Amino acid sequence: MALYEKIIAIYTDLTISDFSPRGTIVIQNDNDGKGDYIKEWNHPTHARPTQEQLDAIN
Amino acid sequence: MPGTLKLKSEAGGSVVLTANTNAATDLTVNISPVAGTLATLVANTTGPYFAQGGVAGNGPAFSAYGSSATSLTNGGYTKVAFQTKEFDTNSNFDNTTNYRFTPTVAGYYQVNAGVAANFSSGESTIYIYKNGSRFKNGQDNGAVSYQVNISSLIYLNGSSDYIEIYVYQGTGSAINTNTSSQACWFQASMVRSA
Repeated sequence: MALYEKIIAIYTDLTISDFSPRGTIVIQNDNDGKGDYIKEWNHPTHARPTQEQLDAIN
Repeated sequence: MPGTLKLKSEAGGSVVLTANTNAATDLTVNISPVAGTLATLVANTTGPYFAQGGVAGNGPAFSAYGSSATSLTNGGYTKVAFQTKEFDTNSNFDNTTNYRFTPTVAGYYQVNAGVAANFSSGESTIYIYKNGSRFKNGQDNGAVSYQVNISSLIYLNGSSDYIEIYVYQGTGSAINTNTSSQACWFQASMVRSA
């Protein structure tokens, strides 16, 4: 499951707009084989999910 | 009568040419700098003596395209890979590991890029990243486009500065870039020395 889908599964009220260029969350992939990661998290109410939370989503 | 005058500079690297003040025709000076360096003409008195003064001349330029697809993350920003060079005059574009342009000559560079993919079901935007951070935004498309483009003039210091291309897309799933020299390309060329 992609990182975006895991975050949406944790915070079900988030939408694609929260990740868009006008949103508060930035997922990035540097094409280096390490995959997606959270580069910026500036959401006003939701805390940045922990790695444990993300790993629990499959 | 045309001729060749060979000058050897001293340790400082400068050579001074003084034109005959009675010359009735234009003076042409051909300069052959070492590869990867710039020759700069400087007028010591007022007047349009050097039409080439301050122009990049043979500064670095490259063009590359994505010959293998890059998978663009849904809801995220993905660096686009450009594996095949069309030209790279100063060997400053890394087309194997980091897909970044790191010119070794300081100056102002015209940077252009275009990436095609099936963006038709969601938002898409293209970016120039400078030194790992978003630097210039391209056109932000709604769900209407198969191509995003960007063009910008950027100063690069000739040593540590580098640029890369990233694309954001939010179509609902990961999508692949198109693989052709027409559809997925990245170019830069020095237009003025520092």
